[in-house]
Amino acid sequence: MNEKGREQPQNWIKGDESGADMLKRVWRVRPFLLPPPLHRVPLRVGNVLELVGPSPSAKTQILIQTAITCILPKNWNGIHYGGFDHLVLFIDLDSRFDINRFSQLLIYRIIEPYGESSRDYDKALYDLCMARFLYVRCSDSFQFLQTLKTLSRRLDKEKEVHGVSVHLLMIDSIGAFHWMDRASTFLSLKENSRKKLFLQSVSEAVVQDIKKLLQVHPMLVIATKSVIFWNKYSTASVEVKGSFMKNNWEERSSRNVTRNNQHFQYREYMPSVWQSFVTHRIHIRSSDDHSVTSKCQNSSFYLLEWLLPRLSFSDKIVVKDAGVFVDS
Amino acid sequence: MAPLNSLEKEYPLIDSNFQIFCASHAIYSVEDFLLHDIDALFTSATNCSSSQKLNQGIHQLLSIIDALHPPLLNGLQLVEDARQNKHVFSTGCQGIDALIGGGLRVGQLTELVGPSSSGKTQVCLMSASTVAKHNCSVIYLDTGNSFSPQRVAHFIGQSSDYVSGNQNVLDRIICYPVFDVYQMFDLLHQLKNNLRSKIGKSDRHVKLLIVDSISSLITPILRGSGPQGHTLMISAGFLLKQLAHEHNITVLVTNHVVGGDDGNSKPALGESWKSVPHVRLLLSRDCGGKVCNMSIIKHPAMASGRTATSVRLFV
Repeated sequence: MNEKGREQPQNWIKGDESGADMLKRVWRVRPFLLPPPLHRVPLRVGNVLELVGPSPSAKTQILIQTAITCILPKNWNGIHYGGFDHLVLFIDLDSRFDINRFSQLLIYRIIEPYGESSRDYDKALYDLCMARFLYVRCSDSFQFLQTLKTLSRRLDKEKEVHGVSVHLLMIDSIGAFHWMDRASTFLSLKENSRKKLFLQSVSEAVVQDIKKLLQVHPMLVIATKSVIFWNKYSTASVEVKGSFMKNNWEERSSRNVTRNNQHFQYREYMPSVWQSFVTHRIHIRSSDDHSVTSKCQNSSFYLLEWLLPRLSFSDKIVVKDAGVFVDS
Repeated sequence: MAPLNSLEKEYPLIDSNFQIFCASHAIYSVEDFLLHDIDALFTSATNCSSSQKLNQGIHQLLSIIDALHPPLLNGLQLVEDARQNKHVFSTGCQGIDALIGGGLRVGQLTELVGPSSSGKTQVCLMSASTVAKHNCSVIYLDTGNSFSPQRVAHFIGQSSDYVSGNQNVLDRIICYPVFDVYQMFDLLHQLKNNLRSKIGKSDRHVKLLIVDSISSLITPILRGSGPQGHTLMISAGFLLKQLAHEHNITVLVTNHVVGGDDGNSKPALGESWKSVPHVRLLLSRDCGGKVCNMSIIKHPAMASGRTATSVRLFV
């Protein structure tokens, strides 16, 4: 009786985890800030961020830039890169990923602390970073589901090889197979036809598989979505429309641009199971008033707006050779 | 994908007992299995009798899926593949090459947009002749009877020193007249099968595939209430990109323009098509002039709107 009485308070005092364990646990789920232009809202693993925009609107460029920040180490050879030092998994549903652009941006980032003049870059760092970038290409919904179902084991293997875990899951164009799934009525051997639409079933399976994957490998999910249905926005005074057949860009930028009551120019087409899975949303559209002062030949301008959580201002972003920057 | 009972011969673990168990969950094929929750299957398998065998059956199905999925590559492997296989082909015109970063890249789908007689077919013919001169085959799907062997011979003759080699060069350009979208699908599937099984000598060195113009094939089916038109369009896009990536071909398609909401013209085929090509170029010609302008609508590495001003494309 005496021993039992002593055991209980002892267990109560003993504690569940040591301080080091607690720090490790909290560190993993701590919110962090992504580099600009996604820096307005802190995100944590388990969040799902959706980038919506028409084509072209720099969505893939933003993904590439964020991936590079993730795979760079914090410090290398005494230079502080400020990377997250983790792996990135990129699922390419659009089949449009350009590895040369990725390589170009990575080299820009590696050379950046050394100044403009240097030409050669640290090959060992480049190889390390490139090996940390994992890529899968799927050409239909079934391949996507196959990949998701077998991903957990493969990520474990990669973790053993590299020593660090996957931190970011990027899906380029979650709506890529929308039309094919919509029209797909694959043969069901049952007598009664399915009650649910095929599109619905696929989306549910995808969301379920990603949720399961996130339980085992906590990651931040960033998905791009392109616009399929374009609604004409009918607001009171809109003086400019998105026309790009104009030959002179100067002529467009000097026009008077006023937009009252920004309406979203697109219609949501993903099923509700995906829409409720998304925790954050950004809308990117082309900007019509570029400042004429920028003489950069090779740069494009876009407007980035946080829809979820709703922020009252939009960032102006510019895409240059060296990456995507916020134009202030 | 296979229905489950057809897998029984090859994989004895998927016996009739397992199939009955799956049928109770409305799983009749591998596709149904993919759409189903695997953990729920495992838990219900443990509740049944002979749960050991059922578990083994589920693992067997998972390993079948494992063998089919696309591979997981890393950045270094991608760079190596790009360096070895994904070269850049010149279009034959220096101005265009300078604009799009060297020329047409293998593995990418390039789209030329422009009103009629803005030079789209000329660019296609010029690219075909340039690629054919480098000992590679060209497949030209011609939808509007616009392929002109005389013009191609002119391009070849323009910049080569010998005359006798012209015949060989012209032999490498194979032109198929195509008048509806199903014909195009047939041809593309046949090409894919030939390349996969490596038969058909003429198909082996194909490096350029031109569809002039893809919009005349797809626009007629886009009208209508169902999604079938858009589905065919997107499937065609995916098929072309798959051919380009797996078999190291560069694909060039042309598209026309339609009137937009505010009176300005915009490319045809709508909003969904915009995210299919890798590179989109806009051609325009001043009225009656010989000077064509080309500007970039979209490019993975160049800014939109970048123009090659007054490119003297054709003399």
